[in-house]
Amino acid sequence: MEKKVEQYDVVIIGGGAAGLTAGIYCGRARLKTLIIEKALVGGLATYTNEIENYPGFPEGNSGIGLMELFHKQAKKFGVQFKLTDVKSVSLEGDVKAVETFRNRYECKVVILASGGKPRLTGAKNEEKYLYDKGISFCATCDAAANTGKTVMVIGSGDAAIEEGMFLTKFANKVIVSVMHDEGIMDCNEIAKNEAMQNPKMEFVWNTTVDEFRGDDEHLKSVALKNVKTGEIADIPVDTCFIFIGYLPNTELFKGMVDMNRGGYLITNEKMETKIPGVFAAGDVRDKFLKQVATAVGDGAIAGYSAEKYIAESAVFQNQIMSGDKPGIVYVWNAVDPVCRELLPVIEQFEEKHAEDVKVTKADIYKSEGIANRLGVSETPCVVCVKCGKVIKCVTGPLTVETIEKLVEC
Amino acid sequence: MMAEFELDCLGEVCPVPLVKAQKKIASMAVGDVLTVHIDHSCAMKNIPDWARKEGYNVEVEEVDDGEWDLIIEKNK
Repeated sequence: MEKKVEQYDVVIIGGGAAGLTAGIYCGRARLKTLIIEKALVGGLATYTNEIENYPGFPEGNSGIGLMELFHKQAKKFGVQFKLTDVKSVSLEGDVKAVETFRNRYECKVVILASGGKPRLTGAKNEEKYLYDKGISFCATCDAAANTGKTVMVIGSGDAAIEEGMFLTKFANKVIVSVMHDEGIMDCNEIAKNEAMQNPKMEFVWNTTVDEFRGDDEHLKSVALKNVKTGEIADIPVDTCFIFIGYLPNTELFKGMVDMNRGGYLITNEKMETKIPGVFAAGDVRDKFLKQVATAVGDGAIAGYSAEKYIAESAVFQNQIMSGDKPGIVYVWNAVDPVCRELLPVIEQFEEKHAEDVKVTKADIYKSEGIANRLGVSETPCVVCVKCGKVIKCVTGPLTVETIEKLVEC
Repeated sequence: MMAEFELDCLGEVCPVPLVKAQKKIASMAVGDVLTVHIDHSCAMKNIPDWARKEGYNVEVEEVDDGEWDLIIEKNK
């Protein structure tokens, strides 16, 4: 099938809280914006029944309800949506491309907001009982449904133990499968001590899941394997909660965008990756706290950065790199006195050569974008551009004469 | 040569669109594309869920408020 090619300013991969917020900012900045989501608009937050800590909703809200509001707001600003998988991306250069099975979207900016998913155990029959069939990844969502029941928790990290303790408020018994030796857990000491003293919590040491067992409808028991003896114990439970970490959805970007060891994308505080015009936001980033509230912050920054990047690209291409006349760019820093002292020299030059040379000033205090594109790291600096190419740059003490020489060469 | 097919399921409630889509796909060749028109929101979930499980390419397009086109490629 021939792929249909469409042009956008911004393509956002992932329609969760981060992607939707980035979309709201881009849409409001009148950028032609597309959000591509492979499952449900709203992302991981839609798996949560109650969101009680997102500011502005003192009565709480359901994950789906809150995300529907985000969706509506993005649509209001003209953001377009495509509900399908992204098959491949090409991120280098000025024109980037995101491909789905039917379309090729060409764009100036890509925002990676593809989020994460819970890590699975890989045990037998796991797929068969996911989500509503007995394996859960969210205690907050499914605790109440397990009132008076027996549940199992897999894992011993902070999430596993803290969620496990939360579950004891509802369930009769919380059995925790820990792969380490007795008394060793991955969580913090305070949580560990509290959990060990909790009468409703029971620990099965040195174990991992071998198999999930049940009928066609629902999980009935979990078979735990002792990693030392190989012995299998079949433990009847009503629900099994898996808390063994998250995996970022970054397989598509491997070898293109910088990642940490866990596969999370590395950005600076402007949500910029190392590739110009490629930003990342939300759970897919390497960051301290993954919540709807922090995803929203990331999304806002990524959307704003995208707009700045596109505006700067336009200045760079239309004003600096194009035209018949040779040009000079004064790269300066407004807070640096040396740079400020040179400003009259530049203005003298500009006046004298108003007819034959195009003069642009780029203040790096506001943004380093133009300087980076010119390959300039030192200020003050004068760059000479001819026929869309950077010819030469000089730093240090400048006079009208030295700039004239620069242009003539 | 791949062919394109269409199924009009407007006004039909679950599980009728899903069953129709499954039957239609079964009769199609690998590489063919099926577009299903639906306006029952539950079909927007159960048809893509089923198709993705089968390993097919799926795209959901919102045609209008409460009306969708599901595009399924029988890619294997």
